[in-house]
Amino acid sequence: MNQAEVSKLVSKLRIKVPPKHRKLPNPKGPEGRLDKLRKTVTGLIKYERIELNYNRADEARQYAERLISEAIRHGDCHKPTMDTANFWLLEKELVHKLFKVLVPRFENSSVAYTKLYNAPKPQYARVLDKAVLELKGNPYPELGNKQTNNKYFIQNILLDAAKHEYRQAKYAEVANKIGQAGNETSPVNTENAEKLNEKPMSS
Amino acid sequence: MIPRITYICSQLVKNIERNLFHMFGHPPKELALAYVHEHKPVSSPQKFSLKDIIGDGMLWAVPKFRRTNERKLKRKFGSPEYVLKILLPKNNIKVCQDCGHHHEKGRLCEHCYTKVKKETQEIQDKIQEKLGLNPIENDVVVLYEGEKLPDEPKEFWNGKRIVEMKKERPQWFSKNLLQKTTQQPSDSTDVKPTDLA
Ligand SMILES: [Zn+2]
Repeated sequence: MNQAEVSKLVSKLRIKVPPKHRKLPNPKGPEGRLDKLRKTVTGLIKYERIELNYNRADEARQYAERLISEAIRHGDCHKPTMDTANFWLLEKELVHKLFKVLVPRFENSSVAYTKLYNAPKPQYARVLDKAVLELKGNPYPELGNKQTNNKYFIQNILLDAAKHEYRQAKYAEVANKIGQAGNETSPVNTENAEKLNEKPMSS
Repeated sequence: MIPRITYICSQLVKNIERNLFHMFGHPPKELALAYVHEHKPVSSPQKFSLKDIIGDGMLWAVPKFRRTNERKLKRKFGSPEYVLKILLPKNNIKVCQDCGHHHEKGRLCEHCYTKVKKETQEIQDKIQEKLGLNPIENDVVVLYEGEKLPDEPKEFWNGKRIVEMKKERPQWFSKNLLQKTTQQPSDSTDVKPTDLA
């Protein structure tokens, strides 16, 4: 039982990590794949919201999450973390941003640091799936639905019930009126019907 | 299907036979049937004409075998396991809560996303333009024209970069969703419920 606790060695990500990585085919092989992902992570930290192919976005998201969580865990005085940041961020001013902007922003958060949306796709077109990847707490307008579905709020349920009751009362009233009118006019109708029935007989 | 298979099989057997004979030589001449050579009267050589080859007519590429009903239907309508060629109703279309346009379930609404994308691009350009190549050490606060800094304690503004946009804040991009930033609050106090009946 002298195993080291794995959870203390690696920070647990708050997103779903698939069991196998994506290969992201590249003529340069695995190094080319890492180059691509480094560019994407750098772009994400720089612009805070980017649109790109879904596969690459989902793959880069995992690395970005890991990078931020490592930065939060160890701070900027930890040599390996600094090296990791140096490797993943191609523009060196972003290393400052990671430790001085993003760490304070996400220090106390209990959810994932990034968000991935499926971008709209043209109907009946054979195009790759696009995604929008963003850091939480960015200054841009929100992407998701701003108005939540409030159909089941207690006020709305009560209002709906009130509407329903009012309508039922109205319907009953209208039905009564029609019924009274029908009683008055019904003899005329029967006479007409009799006349109609007689006509073909006489002709 | 069956005619096609018998055709392929017969071709196969023919090929094997031919190759075997080629490899091991032909059967000995003694096995050949005895036949009597008869001298035929030599007919006068006729003039060559195309009519001898063509005759009544000749066929170019034509179907050799009948196409079965199953195969015919698959070619026409596709197969549910692979590609269906017929039109199918889509059951994953939703109405956007914000703008009322239709969008696919689980995806962003295209109408909302285009305007958000445009605004985001503008803000990003502004931030990059203002920042240049300096090390990024501060968070960004975006202010539009005619907006003042919100009332916050001094520590909140410590280490924030303020980026000003040279236009009014779009109405759909409001900070506080309960209160519209670009609309004057009305003075009327009476509340009139609508849509009750
Ligand atoms: Zn919409």
